[in-house]
Amino acid sequence: MLKYYVQLAFENIKRAPTLYLLVILTLSLGVGLLCANLALVNSMASDPIPHKSDRLFHVSMNTWVNENPHVQPLHIIRYRDAMQILKSDIPVNTAIFFVSNAYARDANAADLSRSRAVIRATNPGFFKLTDAPFAYGNAFTHINAKEVVIGDDLNNKVFGGGNNVGKSIELAGEIFTVVGILKPWDLRPLFYHVTENNAFNPTEDVFLPLETALDNDMSIGARSSSTDNWRVSSDTRERNVFYMQAWVELEKPSDKSAFENYLKNYSQSLKESGEHPNEIINDLHDVNEWMEKNNVVDQRIIAFTIATLLFLCVCVFNASSLLLSKFHAAKFEIGLRRAIGASNQQMLVQGLVESTIVGVIASAIALVFSWLFLKASIEFLPMLTNIAVLDIEVLAWGVGIAIIASNISVIYPLIRANRYTISAELK
Amino acid sequence: MLKMTNISKIFKSETIQTHALRDFSLTVESGEFVAVTGPSGSGKSTFLNVAGLLDNFSQGEYQLDGVNVSGLNDNDLSKLRNEKIGFIFQNYNLIPDYSIYDNVDMPLRYRGFNAAERKRRIEHALEKVGLASRHGYLPSQLSGGQQQRVAIARALAGEPKILLADEPTGNLDSLMARQVMELLHSLNEDGATIIMVTHDPDQAREVKRSVQIIDGQITDAKVYAPESAIQTTLTENEKKELVDA
Repeated sequence: MLKYYVQLAFENIKRAPTLYLLVILTLSLGVGLLCANLALVNSMASDPIPHKSDRLFHVSMNTWVNENPHVQPLHIIRYRDAMQILKSDIPVNTAIFFVSNAYARDANAADLSRSRAVIRATNPGFFKLTDAPFAYGNAFTHINAKEVVIGDDLNNKVFGGGNNVGKSIELAGEIFTVVGILKPWDLRPLFYHVTENNAFNPTEDVFLPLETALDNDMSIGARSSSTDNWRVSSDTRERNVFYMQAWVELEKPSDKSAFENYLKNYSQSLKESGEHPNEIINDLHDVNEWMEKNNVVDQRIIAFTIATLLFLCVCVFNASSLLLSKFHAAKFEIGLRRAIGASNQQMLVQGLVESTIVGVIASAIALVFSWLFLKASIEFLPMLTNIAVLDIEVLAWGVGIAIIASNISVIYPLIRANRYTISAELK
Repeated sequence: MLKMTNISKIFKSETIQTHALRDFSLTVESGEFVAVTGPSGSGKSTFLNVAGLLDNFSQGEYQLDGVNVSGLNDNDLSKLRNEKIGFIFQNYNLIPDYSIYDNVDMPLRYRGFNAAERKRRIEHALEKVGLASRHGYLPSQLSGGQQQRVAIARALAGEPKILLADEPTGNLDSLMARQVMELLHSLNEDGATIIMVTHDPDQAREVKRSVQIIDGQITDAKVYAPESAIQTTLTENEKKELVDA
């Protein structure tokens, strides 16, 4: 019977192409707009590292040096706090880092043109903690090596792509050896650095050993008290300059407790030496908690998504009105089919099969609309470039929503059609 | 084959109740050809709709081929309609966008036959009405008489127990009407049970048995069948008065 219902559905669409085109376009518009917003929400709300997001913890500490009874833990810490975290053997992996910028070029190229590169100064543990995907080579092994790992994009820009491990790259006038090249790495959101509106930045171009970055005076963006100025980046090692972030990978809940104690003991030792004027508050947030705390999902996008859902409801209502007129016009055929033996149930299934096919066609057009909406969004709001992505999950939602919307739109017309008196339409 | 006992059908609106059938009783045996006549509004169509399970009834008992239809749900009623009843309508009621073949195929689809069985039945039914060579035509490419023969083929394809015809020649000229009547007679001679509503007294006279409905009740105005086959609540005098009238 299903084959017959499908055949009937296509025949019905062929018999009233304009009406079905209107129904399909109405549903497509509503679903397309909703899916475009869902794509944004999905990008913002998705778990970027789901297999271990509950084991990775951002470390916030309350080591601010000026007395302030209301001060909360900061997401940035000092060099010495970071080193204390790195010293602990409780986490299986630890990443400490700060972000910087420089211009990069192939050190052996005759061409002197440089590419701007975003640098993450970090330790080797960063790569294991974040599961950074290597295309060639490995992570640097020392925190003070003159080695770098570069991203796929910079590898293409500077070296033209391929395996360039062992080649030299010039960064801010210094020469470094490339020891690793990452595959294209799309981490959305960029969970390890969601603060300062960086959540949807691309992964970095260069990963530089932390000490090397400080020794080479890579620029840092930091907070400090007015008495803690620095002249070169390496000065920050000894001063109360807050600019580093720390993440730890803790395998078991007991490790988390142990690490919390470790931080508490460290803070206590600072307090005892008069360097911790405020209450001891250290926080560990896993990936999803950290993203939530930093409002990674823009509430305006959520509000707009709700608005587009309401718009879809209006579209469903309009599609339903169109289908009601179609079913009204088809009263004779419905009566005839009922007279020759089709049950109400069979007519209902036939209608649902037809609306499912309409939903599938609408979903294909809706996804084209979604793509166009996202392209237009990027044109007007370039900050959405890394967020406005239609991935497989959203495509599947689009198909599902279109089918559900189509089926909802046909329910009332079907109920009305099933109430027609059979004999009234036949003479 | 068909046995209605004291059937009543009342149409109700907010202000008025209309008794379309009152204490209506009729028995039709297998192989009979019964003509149902009566003036407009007498209840002929209501009787045919109730007999064809297109409409329910308010009171009484109705047995179709031994099945008491009272209390059956929509699925069971639809199955009965599909398997036991063939409808022939005055307006043919063919789907204009479907070929003759597909029109005849419609009831068979709901019966769940496979393609080969459907093909066999469709070809057999079209052959019976003399339209086997026109199976690819659209209804609009046929004359009125031919369209009615397609409708008869559609009714026959399911090999029903009973054919219900509602003024099957009402839209045809006399020549085509004659062809259709000959076809119905030939089907009846082959064993089909037929109940035909008609306005035409000549057609009513041609069949083995004719009953008249007036005000929702049967009056045996012209009966060519044994009188015992007709059940009615009218007294003998009342029947006589109606006949004489």
